Amino acid sequence: MRRTMMVLAIAAVAACKRAPEQGGQITASQITLGASVQLTGRLANTGRYYGDGYAMAVERINEKGGVSVGGKQLKLALKILDNQSDVNLGVRQCTQLLTQDKVNFLLGPFSSNDALDQSSVAEKYQVPMVQGGGASSQIFSRNYKYIFGTLPPADDYYASTIKMLMKMDPKPKTVALVAADDSFDVSVANGTRKLLKEAGLDLVVDKQYRENNSDFSSILSLAKSSDPDILLWSGHEAEALNFIRQAKSLGMSPKLMYAFTVGVPTADFRKALGKDAEYAFGMTPWLPSKDLKDDYFGDAAVFAKEYQQRFGYAPDYHAASAIADVEVYAKAIAAAGSLEPAKVRDAVAKVDFGSLYGKVKFQPNGQISLPQTVIQIQKGEVVEIFAEDFLGKPRYPLPPWAKR
Amino acid sequence: MQLFAQILVNGILLGGLYGLMALGMGLVWGVLNIVNLAHGALIMLGGYAVYYLYTKGGIDPFAALPIAMVLLFLFGYLLQRFLLNLIVRSAQLNTLLITFGLDVVFVYLAQLLFSADFRTINPPYAGSNIDVGGVTIPYAQLAAFLVAIFLAAILFLFLDRTRTGRAIRATAQNLTAARLYGVNPRRIYALTFGTGAALAGAAGGLYGVVSQITPYIGVTLTAKSFVIAILGGLDKPIGVILGGLLLGIAEAMTALYLDPTFTDIISFGLLVLVLVAKPAQILGRA
Amino acid sequence: MKNLQRAGLALLAVGLAAVPFVASDTLVQFGINALLVATLTQGWNIIGGFTGYPSFGNSVFYGLGTYGTAIAMAQLHLPFGVGLVAGGVLGVAFALLFGIPILRLRGPYFAIATLGLAAVMSAIVATIGFAGKNIGLILPLFRGDTLFYELSLVLLVAATGTVAWLARSRFGAGLVAIREDEDAAQVMGINTTMYKVGALALAAFFSSLAGGIHAYWITFIDPGSAFDPTLNVRMVIMTLFGGPGTIFGPVLGSFVLSAVSEVLASKVSTVASLFYGFVIVLAVVFMPKGLLDLFQGFRHSGFRYFAQNMRRFRL
Repeated sequence: MRRTMMVLAIAAVAACKRAPEQGGQITASQITLGASVQLTGRLANTGRYYGDGYAMAVERINEKGGVSVGGKQLKLALKILDNQSDVNLGVRQCTQLLTQDKVNFLLGPFSSNDALDQSSVAEKYQVPMVQGGGASSQIFSRNYKYIFGTLPPADDYYASTIKMLMKMDPKPKTVALVAADDSFDVSVANGTRKLLKEAGLDLVVDKQYRENNSDFSSILSLAKSSDPDILLWSGHEAEALNFIRQAKSLGMSPKLMYAFTVGVPTADFRKALGKDAEYAFGMTPWLPSKDLKDDYFGDAAVFAKEYQQRFGYAPDYHAASAIADVEVYAKAIAAAGSLEPAKVRDAVAKVDFGSLYGKVKFQPNGQISLPQTVIQIQKGEVVEIFAEDFLGKPRYPLPPWAKR
Repeated sequence: MQLFAQILVNGILLGGLYGLMALGMGLVWGVLNIVNLAHGALIMLGGYAVYYLYTKGGIDPFAALPIAMVLLFLFGYLLQRFLLNLIVRSAQLNTLLITFGLDVVFVYLAQLLFSADFRTINPPYAGSNIDVGGVTIPYAQLAAFLVAIFLAAILFLFLDRTRTGRAIRATAQNLTAARLYGVNPRRIYALTFGTGAALAGAAGGLYGVVSQITPYIGVTLTAKSFVIAILGGLDKPIGVILGGLLLGIAEAMTALYLDPTFTDIISFGLLVLVLVAKPAQILGRA
Repeated sequence: MKNLQRAGLALLAVGLAAVPFVASDTLVQFGINALLVATLTQGWNIIGGFTGYPSFGNSVFYGLGTYGTAIAMAQLHLPFGVGLVAGGVLGVAFALLFGIPILRLRGPYFAIATLGLAAVMSAIVATIGFAGKNIGLILPLFRGDTLFYELSLVLLVAATGTVAWLARSRFGAGLVAIREDEDAAQVMGINTTMYKVGALALAAFFSSLAGGIHAYWITFIDPGSAFDPTLNVRMVIMTLFGGPGTIFGPVLGSFVLSAVSEVLASKVSTVASLFYGFVIVLAVVFMPKGLLDLFQGFRHSGFRYFAQNMRRFRL
């Protein structure tokens, strides 16, 4: 027993001694970006967009010659660790990336809660983290200096939808709001309540449910009995699937339309629901449009095609946001002409460029501001409906389930 | 009043499925004294089996259920016969440990084989319903409920009326007595675990019809099964189904009359209260 | 011999205390987590290993410690020390309050009741505005990993010292008597209720302090991560892996398993959890009585140890 303890102690000391050498693979000829993302575990389904997006962006930027720093062309390198959807492991891996693997800068994980935890490591070590996976306002309300986000603020998710509703015929009057109780969805719900009030819409059902809930029958029956014109929903993709399937089986259908914060733009969602996905409204800050020009990929449409070919599934805004994160570093490092974290941080705060994701420019709190485009699933395709004005023809009002 | 009736029906239909989920866990726990933490993973595997039989094989999900049950039975039988039998006589917590390890392995392999994509078993009739006096009854949920009741009844008759079933029950009472009864305990153990796995498989298929399947659905389902199995009295099939109904109705009512965020407080609070207040009477054998 | 043992242990403690001053930050991060998990495991060992009550409610104590500290610091702007005490008091108070009704239950029924309590507490906290509901609380950022490490180490040493004391005291002997045969213990004149509640309160004390340190270290907490039931499963597994009811088994078990999963997570990344699962399955088959027993048994009988075990535990 004692001998074992001694061996352990010796092994521990030996491990300490060796640690500093392990960063040896990074040379001055490259810039290493590190990230701890969810490649397995509960959040793997969305986490993969970040792993794949980062890898593709780094590769492409290198093909175009890398990043010019003070007259020298440097290649990008990428170190991705899988945190198995474990928040604690993610935090430790960020420390490992910074101190042992000696990465220069950090990219982010998926989801607001993970970004909240991981970004405090970046702040602790005063190394920038540009993340494209957390939208909750909590992340940017802490006065941290080193965290930047490329997802638009959660509070405004339904802004464009409500604007569209005011121009619809017949005009809606009553609204049901159903939202999960986690950080992101509470932000959405709070923002939406304010927007509804300003628009003069009447909130007849306002229900919050427990995260990871799988049974919506009570909420649906309640909503059915108050028969609202509109149903606005905010939560996670798995819950959205259950909600819509149970809505169908209980014959619940709002009179005019329903909309969801997540799911609608992803291919997975349409595949899982099949015909039942029809008519669902959603939103996305990004669509694979030819008009979004990009220095590295040409434009967003070309990118979407290449991404689909390479990974076998279509990109959505998560993937595009991940690409933008890497491009932010390419631009900022070139502008700073240095690899010093503090200088790059200041350069990140000042970036302003057009990308396949859209115009990338951070607000003083570190978060990007992008309008949400309203989309709808029509005949199995995602169709753009409304941004500042109508872009496509909405299928409206929503027919009841029996008549679809 | 109509809303109340609707919520009651929702709760009953959901509760039947809950009961089926817990049936296999209760059997394995009651007879073999194994608290199977991989039970939810077996439900998940059953879901994928039915999903692939339906999407790739074109077999109607309800017709695919028996096939999935046979597959899961074989899987469970072999697992018990060649792995779990090796350690069943060590401390009870060891079975907890090994089934936890198995759960991790199954979940990871499922992600590798089936990916983390959301899957739904979505036959054309999945969303249709019938209106009875203003109360909507979904066909798929009703069918799932009936299958659950049917399987519980079959299990009850099997344990009560057949020679093998009686041998299983004898094993639950006392292993030595079971040997005297002339049964081969290794086979009986494997048979029991296989039956538990088959029931999990059926539950998984039905779950895929009314909800959705990913490699990660198991954890919550294991926890729910745990609660229901205890409420219902482990290897008493009728009791377990009643436990499921109780939980289903309690959850549905809480969501309506209190708040949807309170469902967990009520269902688990109920469990603690039941256990603390009247352990012996409710459980029959505490 | 006895002095040699003590000297060895003291040396080990000093060696561990020196880690933050010589080792890399990565190792210190790993150390903080490993030490906290080892403390939790040792806490579980008191109620589960010694007393024989398989608790799934230790994550409640951990969560209450987490929230006590977080509410004190984030909502009331009190210093860390006060928060830690608040968390500890919450945890112990909960153990005393709920210990008496819950500890009347035995075996799996105790396990399920504690599991239920854990789920209820998590759900209740998620509805309290003052505790940040399900959105969580943000603690101030503190750049002092050395402090976190040393605090965790002190806590683990204290927990292990307590267990060592248990192993030789009357109180500990009473707990073991309860584990072996509770009715007999009662007949022998042991006040079983007091003993059991005492053991639970001790476990709660260490678990809630570990939660408090973790909260300040990670800076953001929510009910899902604070009351995570899988953390409790890990405590059980690590105790069993090392050797339940022993002094050093749980510590050894948690260090080894933490190290295995950490190395797997950073070296082989995506298949880490698969390997972890296999390690656990094989461990149960080949060392059903824990690592410590394996060391002793193997020294005695070599590879026959495995065969002996298997013959004993298979059907």
